Amino acid sequence: MAGTRYRGDLAINVLTYVVLIGLAIFCVGPVLWTLLTSFKVPSDIITANIVYLPTQFTLQNYVDLWSQSNYPTLIINSFIVTTLTVVICLFTGTIAAYAFSRFNFAGRTQLMLGYLVVRMFPAVLMIIPLFILLRNVGLLDNRLGLAIAYTSFLLPLFVWMLKGFFDAAPKELESAARIDGSTRLGAMFRIVIPIARNGLVATCVFVAIAAWNEYLFALMLTTSEGSRTWPVGLQLMVGEFNLPWGMLAAGGMISIAPVVVLFAIVQRWMVAGITAGAVKG
Amino acid sequence: MATLSLSGIRKKFGAVEVLKNIDIELEEGGFLVLLGPSGCGKSTLLSIIAGLEPASGGDILIGGRKVNDVHPKDRNIAMVFQSYALYPTMPVRRNIGFGLEMRKVQKPERDEAVDRAADLLQVTHLLDRKPAQLSGGQRQRVAMGRAIVRDPDLFLFDEPLSNLDAKLRVEMRTEIKRLHNRLHTSIVYVTHDQVEAMTLGTKVAVMKEGVIQQLADPQTIYERPANTFVAGFIGSPAMNFLDGQLDVESGKPYLRYGNSAAESLALPDLEQDVSRWFGKHVLAGIRPESMHFGSEGGATLSGIVDVVEPTGPDTHVVVKLGEQPLTARLGPRARPKRGDRITLSVDTAAVSLFDPLTGLRL
Amino acid sequence: MRGESQTLSSPFSPPSGWRRLNPAWFLGELSETRFWMYLLLVPSLVLIVGVVLYPTLYGVELSFQTMRLNRPANNGFAGWTQYARMWGDPVFWLSLRNTALWVTATTIIEFCLGLVAALALNRDLPGTKILSVLILVPYFLPNVVAGNIWALLLDSRLGVINDILVHLHILDGYKAWFADPNTAMGAAILVEAWHGFPFFALLLLAGVKGIPADLYKAATIDGAGRISQLRLITLPMLRTIIAAAVILRVIGLVNSPDLLLILTQGGPGRATEVLSLYAFQTAYKDFNFGYAGALSVVMFILLMIFAWGYVRLSKVNED
Repeated sequence: MAGTRYRGDLAINVLTYVVLIGLAIFCVGPVLWTLLTSFKVPSDIITANIVYLPTQFTLQNYVDLWSQSNYPTLIINSFIVTTLTVVICLFTGTIAAYAFSRFNFAGRTQLMLGYLVVRMFPAVLMIIPLFILLRNVGLLDNRLGLAIAYTSFLLPLFVWMLKGFFDAAPKELESAARIDGSTRLGAMFRIVIPIARNGLVATCVFVAIAAWNEYLFALMLTTSEGSRTWPVGLQLMVGEFNLPWGMLAAGGMISIAPVVVLFAIVQRWMVAGITAGAVKG
Repeated sequence: MATLSLSGIRKKFGAVEVLKNIDIELEEGGFLVLLGPSGCGKSTLLSIIAGLEPASGGDILIGGRKVNDVHPKDRNIAMVFQSYALYPTMPVRRNIGFGLEMRKVQKPERDEAVDRAADLLQVTHLLDRKPAQLSGGQRQRVAMGRAIVRDPDLFLFDEPLSNLDAKLRVEMRTEIKRLHNRLHTSIVYVTHDQVEAMTLGTKVAVMKEGVIQQLADPQTIYERPANTFVAGFIGSPAMNFLDGQLDVESGKPYLRYGNSAAESLALPDLEQDVSRWFGKHVLAGIRPESMHFGSEGGATLSGIVDVVEPTGPDTHVVVKLGEQPLTARLGPRARPKRGDRITLSVDTAAVSLFDPLTGLRL
Repeated sequence: MRGESQTLSSPFSPPSGWRRLNPAWFLGELSETRFWMYLLLVPSLVLIVGVVLYPTLYGVELSFQTMRLNRPANNGFAGWTQYARMWGDPVFWLSLRNTALWVTATTIIEFCLGLVAALALNRDLPGTKILSVLILVPYFLPNVVAGNIWALLLDSRLGVINDILVHLHILDGYKAWFADPNTAMGAAILVEAWHGFPFFALLLLAGVKGIPADLYKAATIDGAGRISQLRLITLPMLRTIIAAAVILRVIGLVNSPDLLLILTQGGPGRATEVLSLYAFQTAYKDFNFGYAGALSVVMFILLMIFAWGYVRLSKVNED
């Protein structure tokens, strides 16, 4: 707000910093605490008096989790499912987003709205039929099956976000390419996609993070270790095997590491995509 | 007592000095125009007068009262913005009366004042509409209504006509002048349009890079510009600058702009005292409108026609005097052909001479 | 429209003769037809119809059936039986109340925190960038991790928050936040709000940045203080964004029981049982697909009514 710089301003600035730093601590504090916990020996965690900083720094929690449980399998499964999901969305969603962005056809708005409304369907409503359907097709408890199930709520999001990025790429370049002799297909691949590359990456990352983090569908649609993903596995360990806090913390930290890295890379573009879409919607 | 008095105003943004030592006095009922290109500091100066920005140094007095640290709402000023800044979620009536509402003026009084302002600006029929439903010109009036309703000591206008199309701009310009005549309130008006400055202002401050180039009434600025910047900024088409050497013959000065004897311009009616400049290089500023087709009078220029631009009411002719181009504004009937030799007679009383190195008027 | 490339050799066309066999060429030619735009949509449409629409319709159909995976004998068409059962099911009504409480409280807290964050970030003081990334963190954390983080923080024996509160003399002893029916909902709301407020902060920040600075200058000259400016300029102009954010968030909250599944599983004693959780557990633990389907359908319908009603309300308010 364009204010005046008289004495009131200094007070407001101080207040702003208090608020921002307070919120930042509120947001990141719990994560940091968990990180600290993951480096603590059990005697530091299970004590009558809370120990704040670790008396000893240890990586044993990570080692134990990795070697004694099937955590590596879980991570690999999650990785495969996430990759499959992104690939499916990439191939089917990119061309759909392109069509929505570049072409005006009958029923376009309704269809776009339809894609949006689909996002509002309750997960629980779809989970049961999906369970039955996948079982009938033999894709239950299967990583590809789970990936396909994920596209049910991630594909509309993918198309919606990517369309926004395509809209921002100027149309004149494709017209110029077509005059130069390219087909529409050629124009799409050689011109638009390179320009919207940042948006494409950001959207893929967003979908990847959502697939990596997902719990509910995975819980319902996987039953055995062969295809179980890390959120289900980790929570199972807590519930059934009383996983010690240190190892739980370690597990959590391992799993959010990729998210943090990816997020840091594309954060700016993702935020732009989310806000632009919601504001226009 | 002057309504506005600025002395030694300086403004720095970080390391950049945007305003360097501004001194201005505006008498009561005066219309001060801050004129200059983008980036010259005029809008910053206006913000400082309003109190939206603090000055880095210097004093501001409004109505004789020092207001350096006074909040904008207590300076008894009103401002009209380039974007009008009307509150989009409020109807026009509330927009106009907002300042009074914030000062806890009771509703009946407020309504009366709003009605009077609306009447003055002919927007009474719009009072219940929202800004989004108004045209550009109507929004402009509402913005002015909001300014006049509090009867302040000083109006501040920040390029209010820039967002309007040409025709509307002329209409609103007249409207503003009429308002000024009627209310006699002092006005500080920022613009980059020199036509607005000339027609509206009683005093014009031409600014460049944070410095006032000349502060005077429009007539003086037009006829006796203080330097080449001011001379070139005012007037359209722009003033021509002829590079030459000032010589004297039989006590009368003349300008030699070329190598041959024919390429010289006699300057019999020159106002300036240029005796110290004889034999030196000067820039002669000649306005396009002070040249006429023909060769009566002693001062003539002769050259080859390069471009002819008929505009309807005039014809702009670019003439090449040797290597130097000169634009002349001739009558609508003048139709010289490209490549013709043309002779122009010059009204030398209107010629200004400048120092080529400093650009200052001699 | 395609230029002369058909007769001249161009980098886009393979040598003749092999033409019809080259998929790239074939697709290229296809892209010039009128049907290209529809072709582009087909793959995703197929997926969506197959993975979303069909299951949803099937889910609705299920709600009219009795289907228990572990008691297949009774399976078959059941008409309105499931819905009738719902009407008389006290847990259903309890879950509705819990859902309303949970959604309303969480949304309000998230909005307030998000607004404060957005206004603070908007001042663009030095360091804003880093702080904004930090503030965004909770939203992108997986539910599993977020839930467990707070489970540890609020643990009845090991929770650091308990420790801090005791040191500050706000509490006398450690509290079992999730075991006490009185505080479980509150604690869950806190965690969910922590997780979701960055969403509001993001959207509101985008909205606030769209408000022209001149409006605030004019308001300052008119004599409006900061609070008045917030009340009369900022908030009214954010109305549409607030509506969009609220609808999106409410839908998200109602639809997904993830956090509660991890934190409380609906306990203690159904104190935090929300409708989506109830439906999920009916399917996952009881294998009562028919009833779960009915519960989900009802949830969906209520959500649609809310969304429609809210949009109407905010449109009416605008005029």
